[in-house]
Amino acid sequence: MDQTKRDKLSELVEELTTSGEPQLNEGKMKEVKKICKTSNEYIEHFYHLIMTQLNQEHAEIRLSAFQMASELFSRSHHFRVLLVTNLQEFLELTVETDIEQPLPPPKEVARKLKSLAIQTVQSWYATYGEAYKKLSLGYNFLKQVKKVDFHDVEARTLAERKRQEEKQKRLERIYKEKLEKAKQEMEEMVPEIERCLTEMNNCLTLVLPDDFNFCSLDPPPANQEAVSTPFFQDRRNSSGSCDNEQPCCSKELTNNRDDKMAEVKEGEEETKAEEEAEEESSEEESETEEVLDEDSFIRSTGLISHNYHLDLDISLDLKLKETEENEAVMNNLKDLHRLISTNHITAVQSWIQIFTKVGVEEELLRRAIDLKKSLQSALQKHEDMHIDYKHRDRRVMKVSEDGEEDDEDFEEVPEKEGFEPHIPDHLRAEYGLDPLPSTSTSAVGPNPVKPVVKPPTLPSAPTVSRLKRRMLDEEQDPTCAAATLRVLKQRMCSEGSLSESGDPALSGDSGSKDSKKNQEAPVIPFGLDIYYWGQEQPTAGKIIKYSSQHQFWVPNEVEEEVENKELSAQMKSRYITFAGRFQPVQHKCRAPMPNGSLCERQDRVKCPFHGPIIPRDELGRPTNPEDAARLEREEWKRREEQPDWRDPELMRDIEAATGEDLGSSRKFGKGNKGKGKKKKYPNLTDLKQKANTAHSRLEKKVFNKSSMRRVAEVLNKMDKRKHEKFSNQFNYALK
Amino acid sequence: MLSFLAARQTGLDDPIRFRRAESTRRVLNLELNSDRDVAQIHGNGVNTLDIEVIEGRYMLSGGSDGVIAIYDLENNSKKPQYTCKAICTVGRSSRHVHKFSVETVQWYPHDTGMFVSSSFDKTMKVWDTETLKPAEVFQFEGNVYCHHMSPIARKHSLVAVGTKDPKVQLCDLKSGSRIHILQGHRGEILSVRWSPRYENILATASSDSRVRIWDVRRASGSLFTLDQYNGDKSKASSEAVNTAHNGRVNGLCFTGDGLYLLTTGTDDRMRLWNSASGENTLVNYGKVSNESRKGLKFTVSRGCSPEFVFVPCDSSVAVYALHTGELVTMLRGHYNNVDCCEFHSDYQELYSGGKDCNILAWVPVVRHADVEDEKATSARGGTQSVANPAFEDAWSSSDED
Repeated sequence: MDQTKRDKLSELVEELTTSGEPQLNEGKMKEVKKICKTSNEYIEHFYHLIMTQLNQEHAEIRLSAFQMASELFSRSHHFRVLLVTNLQEFLELTVETDIEQPLPPPKEVARKLKSLAIQTVQSWYATYGEAYKKLSLGYNFLKQVKKVDFHDVEARTLAERKRQEEKQKRLERIYKEKLEKAKQEMEEMVPEIERCLTEMNNCLTLVLPDDFNFCSLDPPPANQEAVSTPFFQDRRNSSGSCDNEQPCCSKELTNNRDDKMAEVKEGEEETKAEEEAEEESSEEESETEEVLDEDSFIRSTGLISHNYHLDLDISLDLKLKETEENEAVMNNLKDLHRLISTNHITAVQSWIQIFTKVGVEEELLRRAIDLKKSLQSALQKHEDMHIDYKHRDRRVMKVSEDGEEDDEDFEEVPEKEGFEPHIPDHLRAEYGLDPLPSTSTSAVGPNPVKPVVKPPTLPSAPTVSRLKRRMLDEEQDPTCAAATLRVLKQRMCSEGSLSESGDPALSGDSGSKDSKKNQEAPVIPFGLDIYYWGQEQPTAGKIIKYSSQHQFWVPNEVEEEVENKELSAQMKSRYITFAGRFQPVQHKCRAPMPNGSLCERQDRVKCPFHGPIIPRDELGRPTNPEDAARLEREEWKRREEQPDWRDPELMRDIEAATGEDLGSSRKFGKGNKGKGKKKKYPNLTDLKQKANTAHSRLEKKVFNKSSMRRVAEVLNKMDKRKHEKFSNQFNYALK
Repeated sequence: MLSFLAARQTGLDDPIRFRRAESTRRVLNLELNSDRDVAQIHGNGVNTLDIEVIEGRYMLSGGSDGVIAIYDLENNSKKPQYTCKAICTVGRSSRHVHKFSVETVQWYPHDTGMFVSSSFDKTMKVWDTETLKPAEVFQFEGNVYCHHMSPIARKHSLVAVGTKDPKVQLCDLKSGSRIHILQGHRGEILSVRWSPRYENILATASSDSRVRIWDVRRASGSLFTLDQYNGDKSKASSEAVNTAHNGRVNGLCFTGDGLYLLTTGTDDRMRLWNSASGENTLVNYGKVSNESRKGLKFTVSRGCSPEFVFVPCDSSVAVYALHTGELVTMLRGHYNNVDCCEFHSDYQELYSGGKDCNILAWVPVVRHADVEDEKATSARGGTQSVANPAFEDAWSSSDED
């Protein structure tokens, strides 16, 4: 036996069985056969390989192995002998004869394997049954004990058939119930839906009279681009007897006789012209003319011929705006639209689904489908209108406010607050004032100029906050205390300036210096240190101590005063916390992340995930070469130093036990190789992949370790509390 | 073979030696052969088989469906192909049929006119073979797992019966009554066997993992209990003292000479005991897969050297050398668990019954001619291949490229 050939055979078998495809690769199979043909030893080896592959817990591997086995079975006697001796195991692995060893997932492939195996066994029996005793025994076993019906395409055993029937029955019952429910629902809903539909249609026609179905139920796609393409081609004959024509921006002259199409369109167009006024389409056929003969036609229009190719652009991009007039209709329309799109359409869809599933009489189904169609068309129509609704909530408010008719009689007047020093001229009469008196009516006190100067700034600066304005108002209001205060202040100021100017020798130079200093000096809070500024404080930090509490007796040496250094220091010192101004971070970490994006963290110095922040280019690579080298080094170090508990073997064991991915398949270090099956046979269906169902997701949340621990903790605590509460009672104490 | 014949002719050898050599050879060549079939009568698993020793011609079988069948094993057709027909059955239509699964059937050791069957319907029936009617019915309180009649007894005609009750019952066929009970076990009795050497010695195996040897003449208790550790207390935990296995003991079999006793247990072990001293011989048979909740019927060869044990092991029958414990071969043919096997010592044939309703006959394959006469072999091979095209290889020429 040639070792290389043997290895080749093993390799081929593995490749073929792990291909995951429903059919074997012909070329490779041919090679296998070629090797097997040379000697029985290869066949034995092949047999063992096949049996090991059949024992794999993966239906795809088994299917491929089975196909290979059946290929060789028809060819080699030796293989037949080998296989037939171990036929019971073979059947267990392919036909599922042992209930305790069900075929492995994926289910679909397993079913295929089973039916294929049963068919193959039957054909084997037909050809080789007499020669191989055990084969016929096996066939009889399947037939009589397992009650496999070989004519059944599905290749099910008796029990399976029964189960299937029961399932079918149950499903039917459920469907029936559903159907009844749907029918009833339909009976109830149909009138409402129809009412809804008619209402909607009416609304639409109200909003946009549409006699020719321009916004037809299903406009051909070309119509959407009608803006640019000629939509209506009006070809008319000069001698035609048509009485109303609208010669218009003509582009081409044609001699064609009119065809039916043109007639129809013409008619449409004319009637349209009368009603299309509200549409903002670019039609300019405003005037319709009666033309009886050519001359008058030419005379009136300046156009030579009747044979025109008329291009009309009718924009179907309708844009309707909600206005005061159509507001009610629009409201209704909107409600209806919402009702249809959320309620009715889904309901009808579910009915149709149920009907098709159960296979109900055609009448009902057709009705449902018609209903759906009309609903959809209504929605489509609505869509085509491009209605621009006003903002709803504002609308509602306004409606309620404007609800009362008499409100409209009043003129909107800007709100008035506080004292109005400035009365517009035309309102003076209303205020009972003389036209244009001196402006100082409101001004009281010694400074008549100032209040007059200020008011003009008032209305002109609307940005002035209300509070400020109110303050100003108050100041100007002579009845307010604020006004008096202001007057006093002003007086003080003027006095100060007076004294300054009146005594220049005393404060001429130093005064200005002082003021300068004052401006520069920081404002700090008042404290003890300032109180005793520049003085010696005799009592500072001294504590009088009475060591004896006795009334008469006093110990010999008494040091009554103790100086507390800390306290005295406190008296003289001052803490100033220096807090710099906060400056938001401008840069980002920008380290490349596994998902391909860059790290968005904005840390000042160091990103908690990617270390010190260094300049990086737009791909996230460090720009400085030394940085790059350092990162590289660190990466290596990290890989080398996988902690003990992350021993890949152990991790894999744990993963196998718990079924959770701990990442052992990731490559660690140099020597370890990821040995995951996924990597090994990428073609096979991954069995570990859990179905992403609501159940599994919930399970992940509910049964994860930390939440379980939390629950356990709470329960323990509750237990403990009970325990503590009754701990002095012996029967609780015992527990 | 020729040397044996020559030695025999010249009188150098004992006749028994030649016989032994030949029968050993035949046993080693046991194979599932398409020449021999056994008619399928049972619609459910076959629990028990018994071949009578007087003529070696008739075989009893009892099935899980309560049916008992008698097969004729002798091939009178003068053709190699032969199907053992059931000459009579106690089928479901019979008035006397066992209601539930028949667990044990046994011919009366001295005559084929009578056989005894016991069943899960809590009865043991003594049948008249001619009329197929029960001559006697013993009623018990619990399921009857097994019964056995001494193959050599001349002075008594006792049937030992193991039931769900831990007491072993002894029924006397002479009086038709239960005359004795043997107390000592604590679990249900799964197997009972009379010694083929001493007519009063009885071995019983129970689910309390003990095997007891009794002398039925002694009323006080068992002679001794088989101990897997041979009395070495240090090895045994306190509850494992005097146990034969670490699980239920569900199979018992004496060797043909009665000197050794084999037991099987659900701890997947088979043990060989000296039946006189109760000593564990510590022969290691390896793992003998055994999950049966009921009794397991296995057998040993007779007249071979060395002797062989045939023991059901899942869906195959394992053949061990008795004294060395070496696994000789596995007879694979059943499609489900094998429950019982019976050795036909005259023809060195083995019959096995299993849960797949089949009774399979394992027949020694006829030895092919030796290498010396190549002509004959080639001619024979040629004819064989012509006779059976299914044995030919069918490599298509397209495979070559």
